[in-house]
Amino acid sequence: MEEGGVNVIDLTQGDESFVKELEGLGADELRECIQCGKCGATCPMALAGLEFFIKRIVHAANLGLRDVLLEDSSVWGCQSCNRCVEICPMDIKPYEVIQALRRAAIKVESCPANTYEGLRNLYKFGHAVFPKGFEERRKKAGLPEKPPTALSYDELRKKYQEVLKQTILEEIAPFPLD
Amino acid sequence: MAKIGVYVCHCGENIAGAVKIEEVMKYAETLPDVAVVRNYLFMCSDPGQDIIKKDIKDGLVDRVVVAACTPRTHEPIFRDAVESAGLNRYFLEMANIRDQDSWAHWHDKTGATEKAKRLIRSAVAKVRLAEPLEDRYGDMEKSVMVIGGGVAGMFAAIDLANMGLKVYLVERQPSIGGQMIKLDKTFPTMDCSACILTPKMVEVAQHPNIELITYAEVDSVKGYVGNFDITVKKKARYIDWDKCTGCGVCTQICPSRVPNEYNFGMNQRRAAYIEFPQAVPKKAVIDRANCLYFKSMDKTGKPACQICEKGIPPKGIQGCPAGAIKFDDKDEYINLKVGAVIIATGYKVMEKTHFKEYSPHSPDVVTAMEFERILSATGPTEGELKRPSDGTKPKTIAFISCVGSRDERYHSYCSKVCCMYMLKHARILKEKYPDIKLYLFFIDVRTAGKDFEEFYVYTRELGVKVIRGGRVSAVDVKPNGKLRVRGFDVDLCSPVELEADMVVLATAIEPPAGTDELGRLFAATCGREGFLREVHTKLYPVETASKGVFLAGCVQGPKDIPESIAQARAASSAAAALVIPGKIKFEAIISEVDREKCSSCGVCVPLCPYGAIRLEEYKGKEKAYIEPALCAGCGVCASACPSRAITFHGFTTEQILAQIDALAEA
Ligand code: SF4
Ligand code: SF4
Repeated sequence: MEEGGVNVIDLTQGDESFVKELEGLGADELRECIQCGKCGATCPMALAGLEFFIKRIVHAANLGLRDVLLEDSSVWGCQSCNRCVEICPMDIKPYEVIQALRRAAIKVESCPANTYEGLRNLYKFGHAVFPKGFEERRKKAGLPEKPPTALSYDELRKKYQEVLKQTILEEIAPFPLD
Repeated sequence: MAKIGVYVCHCGENIAGAVKIEEVMKYAETLPDVAVVRNYLFMCSDPGQDIIKKDIKDGLVDRVVVAACTPRTHEPIFRDAVESAGLNRYFLEMANIRDQDSWAHWHDKTGATEKAKRLIRSAVAKVRLAEPLEDRYGDMEKSVMVIGGGVAGMFAAIDLANMGLKVYLVERQPSIGGQMIKLDKTFPTMDCSACILTPKMVEVAQHPNIELITYAEVDSVKGYVGNFDITVKKKARYIDWDKCTGCGVCTQICPSRVPNEYNFGMNQRRAAYIEFPQAVPKKAVIDRANCLYFKSMDKTGKPACQICEKGIPPKGIQGCPAGAIKFDDKDEYINLKVGAVIIATGYKVMEKTHFKEYSPHSPDVVTAMEFERILSATGPTEGELKRPSDGTKPKTIAFISCVGSRDERYHSYCSKVCCMYMLKHARILKEKYPDIKLYLFFIDVRTAGKDFEEFYVYTRELGVKVIRGGRVSAVDVKPNGKLRVRGFDVDLCSPVELEADMVVLATAIEPPAGTDELGRLFAATCGREGFLREVHTKLYPVETASKGVFLAGCVQGPKDIPESIAQARAASSAAAALVIPGKIKFEAIISEVDREKCSSCGVCVPLCPYGAIRLEEYKGKEKAYIEPALCAGCGVCASACPSRAITFHGFTTEQILAQIDALAEA
């Protein structure tokens, strides 16, 4: 495929079952995208220089280009700002496409390592990202060691973990759900 | 002595923005015979015209100069105004101080003002010498010829016939139906094309006011609007159509097989054939070039085959049961008199052979029109989707748009219907075979019609892949017989390639062969792209430069079916409005020969672009005569006549010289 440095995308590898899978995972209006590009112009991913920003992601998803999308980490760069959802004239909810892609990626463990870190944190502490290593300073300032979030309510956290265990996380988590 | 009124128009700011109106008016007052000078913001408005009318009625003015815009659009208005006030309508002259002055010299106010003075001076000089002219009337034949029996021609014919007019519908092929009858389904409603057209074909054939003349061509044209005298050549059919019942026996027993044009050569027909199953009229013809009888007669003088006539008695095969075979049939020429003509000869699709980069030698690369036949139940595969090369069912098909359209090397125009019919093909296929993979390569998707965008989105929802910005650069045949399609996808922003089993080319829509010649027969002109040209794109979309000759359908440019029908019905209304009154008005501004002065040199005869001049016996000599109904008032003859025997009314030699003198004055 590599031709003089230009990456030619082979459409033949497009897989309709991938499109159907994404539709089932929440991107149910995927095919209605007419590639007007309005989402692309507002997308922070595009501004940040990510190769696959929302407009291209939706098109590649539509073409069933599973490998192209899963081999690239761009979908994980989405900031969930939802601007695309607000402005999409075809009302396809582009962010749902991102979410569907992430769901598909997780199933085949095709995501950046820090995704798992976040997932583990989510399970353990109820937060994907939480402040660590500030305990001493917080104490000095007269604050509780942990911020008053899920972290500080052990009982609720346990309940929440019970709920998570009943989800697909049970199957896919690459760490023990104790 | 003439009393000339000069009316200077501001045209809003169009004129007044560059020309100093006050100064021009003061100057006009000094010109000979000028009685009144006035100005107004818009002379063409009702109050503007009222100013002129009032001056005429008050007896202040008996000649009028309007210094305003172009006479092309506005002269008729002012002529009407002058006439309604009781003056001869040709006592009017326009000085074009807008298009030829203020617009052209916008940044030179002084120069523009001076030029306006000159233009008015010249108009005044001319109008002083104006002669009263009368419009005349001629007889009008109350019948219309429609050329072309496709959907546009058929609708035009039916409309005219329903208005009570006699219609001659002339079609080149043995059957009417045109291109539309070859289509499988029509967008955006997905009607079965043949199902909606066949009843109309029958209506045409049965209408008491329509004389259907198929397998015929216009041979020559004489006469002019109101009185066209047209010779139509009915091609020899070698089958007596009065006897032929359309039973199809000859089309089955004839041993000579040739590629079937109706299916673009994808299957075969016999030399004796009926064009297609639902042909109207359903009559057989023998194609002389491929008939074994004629081939051997031409070579040896003896018939090698007469199977269609006599059958094969030893095998118990009977010949034509109606006894209709007529080997001695001849071309027949018929003369028809009509008042007006509608040309509706349609289009043809460009052939794939032009496009070397798309592997046209591969049978699996087909044009969209061929694909249409593959999809059609009456087509070569009876509607079954098969790869032409090996008869297998294709799993992946690529469609390529704008093949020959939007391409300076072929046709710069957009063929207009391709985006939609590609989507239509995709939809037909996806609804029949949901698992088929379809890739549509567009430059961009143009679906600008009623319900078209909805059609597009619906088709996308079926899982059709749309690749934009992707005029395919190459189609190659791979060793495994598959086709490699290479393009660019702007939405992926990447070069792409695809392995397809079939490729469908949406080739350009072209004027049919012979359009130029047909146009010339009727003095109707072709545009740059070879389609017949309407007089004015916006205001006169169905009329040609030749009076009484109208256009309908794709012969004027690419169109879809609804547009073709709309134009056909417009053309029939325009033709009817001309024909129904029964008389025709001739322009007064035409040339006339003074036969006393004519020296019989004849130079004018070949010069006239409208063929209006002939030499006629007058006082024992051949003198020029100009047929008033044909003269278009171009003036070529008057300027060429060495004896000054030709007067071009409205532009006499005296008037022109006076104008030139006035312009040249310091
Ligand atoms: S004469 Fe023979 S070849 Fe000619 S049309 Fe009849 S059957 Fe066909
Ligand atoms: S004015 Fe023109 S159209 Fe009329 S007869 Fe002379 S050359 Fe022909």
